[in-house]
Amino acid sequence: MEILQVLNPVALQRGVIDAKSVNKRPTTLEGAKVGLLWSGTAMGDVALRRIEEMLQQRFPTAETRFYHGGLPASAEALKQAAAESDVIIGATAD
Amino acid sequence: MVEIEKQGTPTVLIVSGRFEHDAKASARAFAMPEVRYVVVPWIYRNLDRGRTIQQTEAAFDELAWELTADLGGSSESVKLVPTEVEQFEGADYLDALQIMNREFLNRDWGDGFPLMPATVAEVEKMLRGTNLPPGHIVCDLPPGYGLATVEKIAINSVMAGASPQQMPVIIGALKALSQMEPEWVKSLLTSTSSHASMLLVNGPIAKELDINGKAACMGPGQQNRTNLSIGRAYTLCLKNIGHWYPGQLDMDVLGTVRKFTVCIAENEDDSPWEPYHVEHGFTSGDSVVTVLSTSGEIDVADQGNNTAEGLLKTIAYNCIFSQWDLIRPGRDDKGSAWDTIVLVTPDIARHVKEAGLTKQDAKEFIHELAEYSLGRMIHYYPIKGKILPPEWRWMQEKSEQELHDILMPVRENADHYRLICVGADRAKPIVIPSRPACPESVCVDQYRAT
Repeated sequence: MEILQVLNPVALQRGVIDAKSVNKRPTTLEGAKVGLLWSGTAMGDVALRRIEEMLQQRFPTAETRFYHGGLPASAEALKQAAAESDVIIGATAD
Repeated sequence: MVEIEKQGTPTVLIVSGRFEHDAKASARAFAMPEVRYVVVPWIYRNLDRGRTIQQTEAAFDELAWELTADLGGSSESVKLVPTEVEQFEGADYLDALQIMNREFLNRDWGDGFPLMPATVAEVEKMLRGTNLPPGHIVCDLPPGYGLATVEKIAINSVMAGASPQQMPVIIGALKALSQMEPEWVKSLLTSTSSHASMLLVNGPIAKELDINGKAACMGPGQQNRTNLSIGRAYTLCLKNIGHWYPGQLDMDVLGTVRKFTVCIAENEDDSPWEPYHVEHGFTSGDSVVTVLSTSGEIDVADQGNNTAEGLLKTIAYNCIFSQWDLIRPGRDDKGSAWDTIVLVTPDIARHVKEAGLTKQDAKEFIHELAEYSLGRMIHYYPIKGKILPPEWRWMQEKSEQELHDILMPVRENADHYRLICVGADRAKPIVIPSRPACPESVCVDQYRAT
């Protein structure tokens, strides 16, 4: 029998070393400011507009706002959406 | 969405089915592995309105749940660990090597062709090809931002069949890629389009290593043994260090053979022009590797023009078969940021020089003639009802026929053409549509063994 020993080629990722948790969620969407972030790609806006309608039906006190993030989204657009929203729903259309 | 979570706002992303693994891999790459998403079955972009509404409605409850359910997860930090040794047992050495190859391919650690074994002894030899210590981190390599230590680069280079002398070029290419503008490098590597890198080597090291820039320099064969092993090492590093695996961060719809990365030298011997790296601020004595972004390849054949004007017209008319990006809905960018690379054969470059034209003159000439129907250029991107940058909004007032009748340059200006002298004599250049990844060049002399 022959044993071949080789070194593993796969590198550790920076994101695994520096991993962070997601933010604490609100308990309800009632009264929440919900940002709808569109990447500008086709039909993503249609999907987000339908979500907006459903949010207004199911959570009447929720406040929605639509954002054009672009693809890629600019840092300013992301900052504005984050600052003005309690939660954000995003769609890239892919 | 990770960027928004990092600013303190909870998010959820709608992800289309085929992209679930990519969403997970991207979340890991951007340091938030628990980022929330909801999967819908179909890709929205080419879906009709009815199906778009239908699958969105079906996802609504889950979206609302992901925004309000606190799962109480926590991410623990991970410490760096020494490189692991993989062990394979076979009836004899060849059998063990074949088992290693099968297993590595199962893990997607290869490119489909047989891999050389990265034994400790071979990796030590490879490490002698550079002055950098094994633990030195050259960069966090996109798209997955793995730590590109010199040791990991050496391991992948051994697997590719590269030689220690090629290490400075391989290291330089990875460094150059990591220095590209982050959003565009993400597009180059992770887009659903078949984009790929191409490596261009200039300066003395091209000759020292026998990197071919002359006849048949982009194909297989003994004349390209250095080109091929450098390109392969770069590809394996992207996979195993950059975590660039198909279906996870490499989301190509079709893929391309250009992802077996092409590496070429400029034909500085036969070129009448200053070399590409000198044009971009290096000296002729510097050895430089440049990472270019490619989105295709158009073979051009001129069958008899023998003037600079005639030959450049042939190039210009073939440059219109590129991709266009005149408009970016929702963004303020002006014009097209896309480039066109032209691999110009030496005989064409000589005609240009003999006609008293500079390389810049040739770019201006090509730009002026490479124009096309605006309506045909923008057809791929329906603009009805879209918010366009202000300078393009006039298009929405025009009929389809009116837009078709307007001729416009396919690139924003002459500087979006990159002319590189490559290949053998015979006026058969190659036009390469190029993504706006802002090509990066790195002097590799800093990585040479002392």
